[in-house]
Amino acid sequence: MTTKTIRRELKFPQSPAAVWRALATSEALADWMYPNDFEPRVGHRFTFRVPPDPRAKFDGLTVHCEVLRCAPPSELEFTWVVGDGWLDTRVRYRIEADGDGTRVLFEHSGFKEDQAFHGAEFGWKMMHGKLAKTLEKASGGAALPSPVSDNPALKA
Amino acid sequence: MMHTEPGVFGAISHPARRRMLDLLVDGDRPVNAIAENFEMSRPAVSQHLRVLLDAGLVTEQRHGRERRYRLVPERLEPVRDWIAHYERFWDDNFARLRRHLEKSTEQ
Repeated sequence: MTTKTIRRELKFPQSPAAVWRALATSEALADWMYPNDFEPRVGHRFTFRVPPDPRAKFDGLTVHCEVLRCAPPSELEFTWVVGDGWLDTRVRYRIEADGDGTRVLFEHSGFKEDQAFHGAEFGWKMMHGKLAKTLEKASGGAALPSPVSDNPALKA
Repeated sequence: MMHTEPGVFGAISHPARRRMLDLLVDGDRPVNAIAENFEMSRPAVSQHLRVLLDAGLVTEQRHGRERRYRLVPERLEPVRDWIAHYERFWDDNFARLRRHLEKSTEQ
């Protein structure tokens, strides 16, 4: 089965050491991501706890992770597992000096088609309602099948 | 009534309904041929099919007494595109990472 990968190349004016601290300390991750019990050592299991958002009818969820690689200040990799394992992916950062600043190569890999299918509900919830707006926009002008409620065969 | 995409995601959130869609990938099926794959009551099967109908994921045709169901695969496109929403998730997070780094190096 083919898998998909999200890739990003990020550039920061800060030093590799500063970027490493932001990516690989629990306090920093709590600030820009979510509450967590991360520790920078291979084999450590930790979670990100995405808080509930009652306005978006989002119950919150837990992302289960395990540190696979930890080589300060250049490489960090951990698993990213959601639900009873239906989303089994990996997140990897590679950090390089780039002049006075830092370049980060980010990869989130292992997305499978069937995960999308079985995890769609999560994908939907994860976006806290942002998805709703995007999809509304996307389907605005699209030709959709005629509404089933107009189908005379369905009228009792 | 306009179909809203959340209806699609809600419709496929149930394993029985995903299995019904899997069955219909191979071709149209009458309700009996769908029901025989499940250990639930016929009314329960009909209720699940109703959710799929309401989400626009299947259509229903009557041929005499028989009702046949057909998959509308285009309706699953938003589901296939879900990785795009994860991309947005990271882009939002990295914007926060940028602010975090600005904040922490100012001090």
